Amino acid sequence: MHIPDGFLDATTVAITYAVMVVFMALALRKMGNTSREALSLSTVLAAGIFAAQMLNWPIPGGTSLHFVGGALAGILLGPYLGFFTMFLVLLVQCLVFHDGGITALGANVLNMAIIDVLVGYGMYMLVVKSLGNSRKTRMLGAFLGGWLGITLAGIACGLEIGFSPSFPLGITITVPVMGIWHAILGVIEGLITALTVDYLYPRLPHIQLAMTRGVGR
Amino acid sequence: MIGKKALIAIIVLVLISPLFGVILADIVGYHEPLDVAAEKLGLRDISEEIDWTPFYDYTVPGLPDTIGYIVAGFIGVGIILGIGYLLLRIAGKRK
Repeated sequence: MHIPDGFLDATTVAITYAVMVVFMALALRKMGNTSREALSLSTVLAAGIFAAQMLNWPIPGGTSLHFVGGALAGILLGPYLGFFTMFLVLLVQCLVFHDGGITALGANVLNMAIIDVLVGYGMYMLVVKSLGNSRKTRMLGAFLGGWLGITLAGIACGLEIGFSPSFPLGITITVPVMGIWHAILGVIEGLITALTVDYLYPRLPHIQLAMTRGVGR
Repeated sequence: MIGKKALIAIIVLVLISPLFGVILADIVGYHEPLDVAAEKLGLRDISEEIDWTPFYDYTVPGLPDTIGYIVAGFIGVGIILGIGYLLLRIAGKRK
């Protein structure tokens, strides 16, 4: 889902960079009291997501995917530290490996560090708060968060690459392709997110608070 | 800063990553939905033309793709952990 250089027009580049900068300023303000433990976990999670994203899953005769991890970061760390975690991953991927274009950094951050993180976190909290906090609801919330997060991120990606003042009908092609494929492939993202949350929940007591009270860190 | 189990898990992920990121991708043909959408629209990836890094697309100059992929993985993990360590030190000094 990493948009390379050459896919976005100047307007989309400017808008997505602006969104990234505004959200980053908001996140930095909200992260003012972040504990050392949460910051440590954020760094380790960023390293883990970076490594997990290197495992591409090619599906014969179809399309391929790799784990993105935005929803997982949001569920474990809340929307702001989750954003920072994904931003760190995307920045290193872009600057060191040119995975994701420098002109597309704003769009990639918007899709994977903002939309995926916020949707994953929001869906998880919605399920756990409305159905109660149990192992089943946590897994259901994490699954739905992972699936919906990646699906909406895919649709946003389709809007960004399809939007161009000179070719306004592009989104009628790109949005269905991105939305449908990510809704299908996102099932695996949801499963990995649910299994990881289920594994980490009893092992990280300080994170349990964030995941059940919605504190976020 | 980093738990032993987490570190082992990350090392294992990086070590097995070429199996999925290089070998299987070459055999089957890695093709993301983004590639499908971009092809339909005729978009052109200009990354290679404006490249700035010796580690482009998780390769390392002089190394075969599989080994380079592993080395690139460790470089990326090391940089992320290094940035995290610096931030922790800065946060510690402020408090």
